[in-house]
Amino acid sequence: MKTHKLYEGRTHTWLMFGRDGEKPEKIIDTNQYMVVTNDNALLMDPGGIELFSAMLTAVIKSVPVDKITHLFASHQDPDIISSLGLWDQVLEGATLHSPWIWEGFIRHFGMQNITYSPIEDEGGRIQLDGVGLEFIPAHYLHSSGNFNVFDPASGILMSGDIGAAMDTDDAPLFVDDFDAHIPRMKLFHQRWMPSNEAKQDWINRVRELDVKMLCPQHGRIFRGDDVHRFLDWFEALEVGLVGKRLQAAS
Amino acid sequence: MQNNFVVTAVIASHIDDAMQIARKLSITASNARALAFRAGSGALGFRPLTDYINRLATLTASSSFRINQLACDLSRTETEREKTEQALRYFNQVYQRAGDSPYLESMNPVSARTEQRQQNLKESYCAQINLLRAELETLAGELRAATMLVTMSRVEALQADSIYQHSLNNVADNVEDVTTAIKQRIDSAQRLVLDLKKQL
Repeated sequence: MKTHKLYEGRTHTWLMFGRDGEKPEKIIDTNQYMVVTNDNALLMDPGGIELFSAMLTAVIKSVPVDKITHLFASHQDPDIISSLGLWDQVLEGATLHSPWIWEGFIRHFGMQNITYSPIEDEGGRIQLDGVGLEFIPAHYLHSSGNFNVFDPASGILMSGDIGAAMDTDDAPLFVDDFDAHIPRMKLFHQRWMPSNEAKQDWINRVRELDVKMLCPQHGRIFRGDDVHRFLDWFEALEVGLVGKRLQAAS
Repeated sequence: MQNNFVVTAVIASHIDDAMQIARKLSITASNARALAFRAGSGALGFRPLTDYINRLATLTASSSFRINQLACDLSRTETEREKTEQALRYFNQVYQRAGDSPYLESMNPVSARTEQRQQNLKESYCAQINLLRAELETLAGELRAATMLVTMSRVEALQADSIYQHSLNNVADNVEDVTTAIKQRIDSAQRLVLDLKKQL
């Protein structure tokens, strides 16, 4: 599991973990993110059980484990948070921020020590040592209860499955040729994202933010003008397709 | 060989079966009482036996309910133990992989806490197995006594008025069938518990 520093400011740092060359076969590669402030750390979409030891190993190369006081799960999928039962044995007294509608489901992964902090549909905000992070609604993209994390200071938007691409395990960190990247993400968005209305709602919301980096849970990160290229491309894409409609649109 | 948490779930399932079957014994006890009352002086010797059948039914039901709870607790403890063991396995991998980590020591309290929890669960597991074993033995003893009850019921049925003999024999058959079925489940559970006990 590789660690990349995405941003380093006066008050906080953004780290990305991923491109795990040792992960078991047939498991989709995932990007995990962490914001580190003076005394705390927020680990976002910490991943599945199969990645747990690689993730924990990577994390403690950057921070002591007791510094992780907050977790965030954008939604309920296994590649997002099925490792919760193991993190629960590591992080006594930590708080998990996740959509309110998934609480009863996510607890099935095992949660005896961590506290669940439900995020209301409208979104929310968290302060870590004075660093403000916003939970941006991204419902039905793809999960019915879904959030992104936006950091106004760095302009980083952790976008979960939005912007995700099926790429190789050793793919570069950033998108360097947007048009060449489209085939890697087109089918995923057409098939996984269920609602054009929800998609437009999210695009309108995100256009109002000053996003400098859009960081999905799979594949490469968009930065600079590629963020806007992605929003334009996504806006024009019809989603919620399956079967013949999907084949026709491919 | 199956994992222990699977074995404990199988034990709980055998006991749950026994508990369901024990309910039939309560119905048989009620029927026997009604029959003895109806027969009156035609089955005088049978009447005291209905009290024993009723007692056996009550005891079997309460005992199997208690054992069922114990078996479920054991199954839960073992599942927790397995989860904790899995966490420890992952922690060991972290220790092996993160030898150069500046914060590896921050894992020590986590590891120690989890090992302590593992130890506590192991102790609970041992205590629960011993308790379960004792309760199963008690119930098995009661069921052995049921054989005598069946024999006595048949003898009394023979001495009753002929119009009641068939029904009274039916009661004896029911008691025998139900207690045999329960005994089979208890025997299976006892064998599995013994296997688990040997591993302690």
